[in-house]
Amino acid sequence: MRLYASATVAEVLDRLLADPAVAAAVVADRTLPARPADMRPFPDWLDARLRSGLEGRGVTGLYSHQAEAIEALRGGRDVCVVTPTASGKSLCYDLPVLQAVAEDASTRALYLFPTKALGQDQLAGFHELADAAGIEVAAAIYDGDTPAPIRQTVRAAGQVVVTNPDMLHAAILPHHTKWFQLFEQLRYIVVDEAHTYRGVFGSHVANVLRRLLRLCAHYGSAPRIITCSATIGNPGQLAETLTGRTPVLVDRNGAPAGEKRVLILNPPVVDARLGVRGSAYGLVERAAVTFLRADRQTIVFGRSRTSVELLLTRLREALREGHGPVGRVRGYRGGYLPSERRAIERGLRSGDVLGVVSTNALELGIDIGRLDAAVLAGYPGSIAATWQQIGRAGRRRELSAAVLVATSGPIDQYVAAHPEVLFEASPEEARLDPDNLHILLAHLRAAAFELPFEPGERFGAAAADDLLAFLAEDGHVRQAADGRWYWASENFPASEISLRVASPGNVLIIDTGGDRPRVVGEVDLFSAPTLVHEGAIYLHESRQYHVDRLDWDERKAYVRPVDVDHFTQAELAVTLKPLEAFASDGVPGGERVHGEVMVSSLATIYKKLRLESLENLGWGRIHLPELELHTTAYWVAVDPAAVAGWRRDELDVALVGAGRALQTVASILLMSDPRDLGLVSQVRSPHAERPVIYLYDGVPGGVGLAARLFERHAELVAGARDLVADCACDAGCPACTGPRLETGGEAKRLAGQLLSLLSGARAEIAGAPAA
Amino acid sequence: MTHELARGSSSVPGMDRDSTLLARRLERLRALDRRLITAAELPSPAPRRAVASTDPRARAMHLAAGLGGIVEEGAGGPVVVVERATPLPMTLDGLARLPYPVDMERPLVYLDTETTGLGSAAGTLAFLVGIGRWDGASFRVRQLVLPDHADEPALLAALEAEIPADAWLVTYNGRAFDWPLLVARYRLHRRPPPVTAGHLDLLPIARQLWRHRLPDARLASVEAGVAGVRRHGDLPGALIPERYFAWLRTGRAALLADVLAHNREDIVSLGRLLGEMSERLADPERRRSAHPGDVASLARVFRRDGRQDEALTCYAEALAAWDEREPAPTRLDRDTLAAEAARLLSRSGRHAEAEAAWRALADRGGSTAIWAWIALAKHREHRARDPAGAMEAALRALRIVERRRAVGIPLHAAERDLARRLARLHRRARSDAGRVRRLT
Repeated sequence: MRLYASATVAEVLDRLLADPAVAAAVVADRTLPARPADMRPFPDWLDARLRSGLEGRGVTGLYSHQAEAIEALRGGRDVCVVTPTASGKSLCYDLPVLQAVAEDASTRALYLFPTKALGQDQLAGFHELADAAGIEVAAAIYDGDTPAPIRQTVRAAGQVVVTNPDMLHAAILPHHTKWFQLFEQLRYIVVDEAHTYRGVFGSHVANVLRRLLRLCAHYGSAPRIITCSATIGNPGQLAETLTGRTPVLVDRNGAPAGEKRVLILNPPVVDARLGVRGSAYGLVERAAVTFLRADRQTIVFGRSRTSVELLLTRLREALREGHGPVGRVRGYRGGYLPSERRAIERGLRSGDVLGVVSTNALELGIDIGRLDAAVLAGYPGSIAATWQQIGRAGRRRELSAAVLVATSGPIDQYVAAHPEVLFEASPEEARLDPDNLHILLAHLRAAAFELPFEPGERFGAAAADDLLAFLAEDGHVRQAADGRWYWASENFPASEISLRVASPGNVLIIDTGGDRPRVVGEVDLFSAPTLVHEGAIYLHESRQYHVDRLDWDERKAYVRPVDVDHFTQAELAVTLKPLEAFASDGVPGGERVHGEVMVSSLATIYKKLRLESLENLGWGRIHLPELELHTTAYWVAVDPAAVAGWRRDELDVALVGAGRALQTVASILLMSDPRDLGLVSQVRSPHAERPVIYLYDGVPGGVGLAARLFERHAELVAGARDLVADCACDAGCPACTGPRLETGGEAKRLAGQLLSLLSGARAEIAGAPAA
Repeated sequence: MTHELARGSSSVPGMDRDSTLLARRLERLRALDRRLITAAELPSPAPRRAVASTDPRARAMHLAAGLGGIVEEGAGGPVVVVERATPLPMTLDGLARLPYPVDMERPLVYLDTETTGLGSAAGTLAFLVGIGRWDGASFRVRQLVLPDHADEPALLAALEAEIPADAWLVTYNGRAFDWPLLVARYRLHRRPPPVTAGHLDLLPIARQLWRHRLPDARLASVEAGVAGVRRHGDLPGALIPERYFAWLRTGRAALLADVLAHNREDIVSLGRLLGEMSERLADPERRRSAHPGDVASLARVFRRDGRQDEALTCYAEALAAWDEREPAPTRLDRDTLAAEAARLLSRSGRHAEAEAAWRALADRGGSTAIWAWIALAKHREHRARDPAGAMEAALRALRIVERRRAVGIPLHAAERDLARRLARLHRRARSDAGRVRRLT
């Protein structure tokens, strides 16, 4: 018998856990306590119109984090606000900006959002507040869609300019003389969703901000920066690296929250030898349907466009069988039209939409109100993203629920085996390296174009003269008689930089499936052989494309959209040569090193793997030239004495297996895609004459991943050791030491021994396989 | 354990990494870049400090000597000025009669820049600003040349002195390019840009008046086509930025000689074009010898400016020249112009003349005749109170439209107009007939 009657979240949870299939899969069941609101009165200095405007909307005071943020700004400090979804974060910047405009109409503010949609959403909220307060303020979006006549008005009269880093970089900074009113009067810079500015993109954005602040100084303004981030491990450090200044960290959330129950489910093992588990979809469907039938608003997160569509179909079918609320369940992902998305967002706020299946498109700060339950089909890839998705469920007073269903992927299995990672470990750190030489030099060119450099002038932390002298060798920059460095070229350097990729010479991805060929994206040269080789399935905004042809000389990949159940993974024959050690240190069993390396890679073959099960469906050859990548790496050199007596083939298997586990744990620790880190192991490194495992940054010059791994060596090795030891397989599997075909039957035992040795334990103790 | 690696600092690398480490990293990057960047993308290798002198005054002297100019000490420092006069006998008295906003009481300042690139983004600068003045007999061009990036404030200060606040600028595409670029340079140096009384940009004017008989609207093409002046050995504009960078690298002033000549030619051209406009188009007597197409263009400019009498005069002159002296390029060109004139006559209340003009057009046949007959139908219905005549005219128009449709060229707008018009005329004819019957 089916139940359709409305039920409370607590009742639904009881119902769900009474199901034996669900109960058997529970690996964690935690209750997060309710938290009352921490309120502060409006400050005395707040403009009376703002105050009454807020009161008119039922706001009688500020949450503690809002009050702390605006007081710190009032005191002339930069602020970094870290709070979860839907905690009234926008007020932390909208309020000081409106106050400043109310005090002095010539004040200007610049809002940066990573995407256009977020900018529009926030601008709408800003206008509502300004209207409620009756404060006249010219606030406008300036992006690629802004029509030319309006652009001129925004430049001359926009008090609040809402844009994105790409637009700032390519259209505003190089044309700063047309924006002099903005730069002269700039009081606040808002950098929202700062946690998205990590890796290559973040390293670029940090340099764009350097250029922005340099121009502000030229025009005589000294703006305060408000950085907002979702919960991550190092928000203050992120803001500091991003802006080059030290903000006041505001991370105590004063917004109230009801009690929340979080379940982690792991589907049962169906093949112990290979470590294969049942599909996550069955459990996701069961959980979601139970909430929806009880009339509880539920969001389901899938990891790709395909899985969203698959889940949506399954949910609708399941609801149809039992005459459930089929029409009130919607999909939401990248390919949907903006108007469709807005309608779904409105429906979620009003309650007309009962359920939504979404990609991480709804992870960012788009306002959809608060829901009863979140069901995550697979670990989203990071602790921070998990909490952001879980945070979509959460009423102010009543109980809410979140259910995470693990897939059979290695990282999911690590989390299922170590649920405490989610609840107790601090979330991942966002890493970026604004001083990556490739990125730094590219922006230094753009900065010299914008304004000459004084001798000894700093760009970032160090004086730029040596780097400018380097650029002068190509003749694009010259040092004039007055000692300043001037741009001396017809080129427009900003147009040579795309903020989303690391180095020039990108491969354009061209969709030939439509009426006219259309550029859908680009990948940097070094990723191209593995991402867009002929026959590859390329994923862009969770859409799948098949690469029909790769014109290597023209740097163009021709693709067409497809909808298939597999992805491709290229194999690289990689040789690695260390060039310079920046730092090294003795550790148990050997030495840890951080340094610069040259990686030569030749893409050889690719495999087709089924999306959820990672089952191998076939393979093909890749014919492309060898590429050299000059980057930073972290490596572990094993003391030959510690592995004396190991056979060479044993050592090889141990290094590969341990390397896989290290790579998996590294991507968990660093909040990066596993593909961002390359892995090379050498039984006898020609340079060190010892066994070495290298993890290298997949981006030219690196984005700081290697340096951080060097620092966190001990955690990394211990994590890898546990990952291998606690894995449910008997002799190594894709979830720990890698596919069996590559490592044979001894991988788990040998890799486990090596990792124990490196984490300081005695080899003979930890060597026994988990039976 | 042996290590053949170079060793950097033994601590975690911070911002204070030593400069030799940075130098080694840059060295490796250099080696890598050379392989990644194709040869075509690399500019010619440049010695780092090729220019002999780093002393601003000595450098300015060197450049001035090489270009046959002098160094002037201005408020902002030394500026290289090259001044030449070109005899240019002409009169500009006629300009006041043309429909362009130029105030002859104000000083005209002819201006043209040479720049390090296109667009007005912050990394592009004007390294040469040419200023022309005509003193009634000859054209005097003063060129301000930038010896080095560092001297730009001096050049901008000197330029301010060249442009009095009551000046009218005369440029070619200066509204879109030269002036915004100069304004950007002043903004970048945080100085207020010079104030002017007005700006006469000859590019849109040249497009209006002469484009109909020229391959393109580049200044050199217009000058050749209009004033018959052909340049020899003129430096192509695309090569100019590289000439300046080459001067900066090598210190060879001769590299800029062609650039200065090109700039001077451009400025003198501005004077010649104004002279052409004044002497050949403004004066009704001299206009008889002008190209009829130019006069037709001028008629349209007068019409758009609301100066109907002058427009009608020019229309008449152009049509007369086409009909008597040299035929119009096509019959349609001629008839379209005649239709515009007739329409303007109606609008000016000169109905008898308009009717005659439409009548003449109608008799010529062709597609313009459709609209001529429709105009005549309107005239007869509403003004001459001749419904029968109106009906006849409308039917004549309809006949042509139907012929056109029969050969596969439907004219929907005319058909709709005629359908409505004929229906109304029929209705009126019936009710008039009824009234007549009642009266009898």
